Amino acid sequence: MAYPMQLGFQDATSPIMEELLHFHDHTLMIVFLISSLVLYIISLMLTTKLTHTSTMDAQEIETIWTILPAIILILIALPSLRILYMMDEINNPSLTVKTMGHQWYWSYEYTDYEDLNFDSYMIPTSELKPGELRLLEVDNRVVLPMEMTIRMLISSEDVLHSWAVPSLGLKTDAIPGRLNQTTLMSTRPGLYYGQ
Amino acid sequence: MAAAPEPGEPGKGKPFKLLGILDVENIPCAWDSILYGSLGSVVAGLGHFLLTSRIRRSCEVGVGGFIMVTLGCWFHCRYNYAKLRIQERLAREGIKNKIFYESTHLDPARKQTNGGSSSN
Repeated sequence: MAYPMQLGFQDATSPIMEELLHFHDHTLMIVFLISSLVLYIISLMLTTKLTHTSTMDAQEIETIWTILPAIILILIALPSLRILYMMDEINNPSLTVKTMGHQWYWSYEYTDYEDLNFDSYMIPTSELKPGELRLLEVDNRVVLPMEMTIRMLISSEDVLHSWAVPSLGLKTDAIPGRLNQTTLMSTRPGLYYGQ
Repeated sequence: MAAAPEPGEPGKGKPFKLLGILDVENIPCAWDSILYGSLGSVVAGLGHFLLTSRIRRSCEVGVGGFIMVTLGCWFHCRYNYAKLRIQERLAREGIKNKIFYESTHLDPARKQTNGGSSSN
């Protein structure tokens, strides 16, 4: 779950989220180095008395600042595309759960073995017990097996909603008249919150 | 999620972030990369100045050295870290399969023994 003033991601619970965390670290290091370079250049610009009013061309620097950003973008794009295609791999889910968004609750259907349907309402702030989380607790939680690939079919009965669980790296829109699919696999037991 | 500190333990407080963005405490390999990069920057900048006595160019060489050494250490460390994670996953799955399938026909140790005896 998230904690107050949190800026980073939550701990990963699925392999895809672990990959996303590592990609984020990789990209952040590149961003940090570029920011350091820009800060240094700004400090140089602000502390020099030198001026050159008759610059005609600067072929070398222009070559460098064309090729170097292209290399940086390739270094970022390759892991990004790898994870993108990894998310769409065929993985033969063992269980299918359907979820429908309503104003303002989610309904879940487990229909693989026997018909199980239930609604999941958020617990209002005035009814929370001590220790429960505001705006995150619900009356009926979704219980899923761990270390199994699960297919989630997500749609909506009225307006646009979005089914998201940050620690699993999931966010899928619930669109009326459309059925969206996502797969998830939890690598450890626990209680994971989403909105 | 950050665990709450136990009673009697000092709280960890906010993580230290370089330039406000890079959490060097919690990102694997970040702290080592930054330290080696700083060392490389000092060595490159100082070495260039001792050779050429040009201050401004030496500072630029220092900054360039910082970026190159940090990136190099970062990629090297992350590559080894990824290999380690794969080995950990294989070991974890091997232990799990051994526990699940012990004394059954799917026991990994039994499969290896049958393979060895059939070759005799």
